Amino acid sequence: MTPTVQIEGNVGRVILSGQFDFSAHREFRQVCESLIANADIKEVLVDFQNVNYLDSSALGMLLLLKEKISAASKNLALVNCRDTVKQVLEIACFGKIFTIR
Amino acid sequence: MKILVVDDTEAILLLISRFVEALGHRAILARNGLDAIEQCRLEQPDLVLMDVMMPIMTGPEAAIIIKAESGERWVPIVFVTGIGEENALADAIERGADDYINKPVNFRVLEAKLKAFGRTLELNRKVREQSERLADYYENAEEEKRVVRHLMEQLVNSERLSDPQLQYLLSPAESLSGDLIASARTPGQALHVMLADGIGHGLTAALNVLPLTQPFYSMTEKGYAISDILLEMNDKVRQVLPVGRFVCVTLISIDETTGCIEIWNGGMPMVYLVNEHGDVVSECRSKNLPLGIIPSHSMDFSPERFYSNGTGFVVACSDGLIEARNKQGEEFGIERLLQLLKEKSNLKPIEYFQETFLNFLQQEKHHDDVSLVLANFGANPNRDLKINHHSSEDISQLLTADFATGNQSTWRYNLVLTAKELRYVNTIPFMMTFVKEIKSLASSQSDVFLILTELFVNAIDHGLLGMDSHIKMNPDGMEYYLIERVRRLAELEEGRIEIDLMGVLLRGHEILRIRVKDSGQGFDWSRSLQKSDAVDPVPTFTFGRGISLVKALALRVNYIGIGNEVEVYYFPQES
Repeated sequence: MTPTVQIEGNVGRVILSGQFDFSAHREFRQVCESLIANADIKEVLVDFQNVNYLDSSALGMLLLLKEKISAASKNLALVNCRDTVKQVLEIACFGKIFTIR
Repeated sequence: MKILVVDDTEAILLLISRFVEALGHRAILARNGLDAIEQCRLEQPDLVLMDVMMPIMTGPEAAIIIKAESGERWVPIVFVTGIGEENALADAIERGADDYINKPVNFRVLEAKLKAFGRTLELNRKVREQSERLADYYENAEEEKRVVRHLMEQLVNSERLSDPQLQYLLSPAESLSGDLIASARTPGQALHVMLADGIGHGLTAALNVLPLTQPFYSMTEKGYAISDILLEMNDKVRQVLPVGRFVCVTLISIDETTGCIEIWNGGMPMVYLVNEHGDVVSECRSKNLPLGIIPSHSMDFSPERFYSNGTGFVVACSDGLIEARNKQGEEFGIERLLQLLKEKSNLKPIEYFQETFLNFLQQEKHHDDVSLVLANFGANPNRDLKINHHSSEDISQLLTADFATGNQSTWRYNLVLTAKELRYVNTIPFMMTFVKEIKSLASSQSDVFLILTELFVNAIDHGLLGMDSHIKMNPDGMEYYLIERVRRLAELEEGRIEIDLMGVLLRGHEILRIRVKDSGQGFDWSRSLQKSDAVDPVPTFTFGRGISLVKALALRVNYIGIGNEVEVYYFPQES
């Protein structure tokens, strides 16, 4: 899985695809860190449009991202969560700590 | 490079070795094949430049032995050949020699060849170094796994998992499991079962779940409720694990004496209550974040409560079970699990599951840890109470209200709490830490816990909070009662409870006196005593069990004064 990035104004969108699990760890971190370092970006969206599966280590990566994003005083939202992704996020009750759209 | 030069002609030996030295290498000399083998053993050269025809032992013969003895280490052998030696040379190369150079030696070509071998040797050295490092890593990893596996086996008390009320299955995806199943009983004999799933699998996942074991066992043993245990576990996980690491947990408490099942689910798949026919009667979905993500004060640790009619199982599993796939890529799924619990089988349910699961997978490996817990409820609604043998009439006759003052007391423990502390101190588990230390009570902790709990709950509920037990008889009454109790306790401004434990010697035995006094109104105990001696007309065990339980366990129960004080004598079980 190689995440792609789209930047529109001050919103950075990380588009993931396929299986989002520990094997995506390095690419995901690199992509996110470039967005965090970018001073123009005020909000980061993680787009699950093309993700068909995510596991618990992916949830861990999202928690880490959230920590870094709030340290950089930016906003974070998880978008286009459907089916399995939505289910996994619901079971973990991540709606309580993430903005999910 | 260290280069071994082998030739039986002194002039050529000298010529080549001088040239080799002029190129900045170190030359070692040998004058025949046998000599070359000897020098190889002593000096371990990086490369061998060797004549073919020599007395005592030829070059090709020596090459075979040198190659064999250098083993994993690659020692290139380059033959220096004359005209007419082609056959011997071809043979030698076939059997492991690396290259050749013609006589008379062209030193420009020799220099180039040495450089080429130098490069290959460097590459070879790097590969070997890396594969050695890899082997070291592998060994270390195996050793670490072994240590963690040992640690887990020690920390997860498998003896207590063999509880007749519990069936379970744990099948790790790797040699270490990130799923953890633990069970223990409170002093009051409620069964606590924990199913935890650390993120990922293997070593790191296993490390994630380890911090849970200690609070689970030690707090259950002291009789803490599962919400208290969860709070402690959340603190622990947050304290020891880095950000981004968390643990999904289902904690189950089954109290057969009250028929109450409590379940808390944080990030685990749905927990089901099924009856003896396998029909789902209740569900408990995850309504909480997993442990270790947010501070305890932002979490809600209050469990969902269920009251069982009849018998059945609490069914809890990890997502690894639901998501396990067979060759066709088909998920096992929750439906298949629920369905098989309905089917009749000669096997125990857990064994039947195992068989079905293995058949389904068809030797395919599951990529995540798989665990399943089936905990029985309702099989034993009326706990066998051990009625004390010693409660013969003449002994209990001695136990008048002022008996203790006239007799020799041993130890004594007195605790007074006011409304302020009662709001947050978890009194009975706290006292049990003391009770655990008293040797004469070693075998009676369960009884003492039950008696103390009943007396204390009565003192709070009826003495201080003015709760009416009849509420419990309505449908949903129990739930309402508990909510109302929590509300009133939070608002409690005044009141105090005094608990007094004392060892008293009676005919050479140390018996236990418990007094509990509250600042409430008391009650007309003379009327109540008559009533509760009669057969309880209400068959439900949610009501009126408390004091009859105490009576069954104790030698004697006395109410004192206006009924706001109760005194219980208890004869400890022999250890």
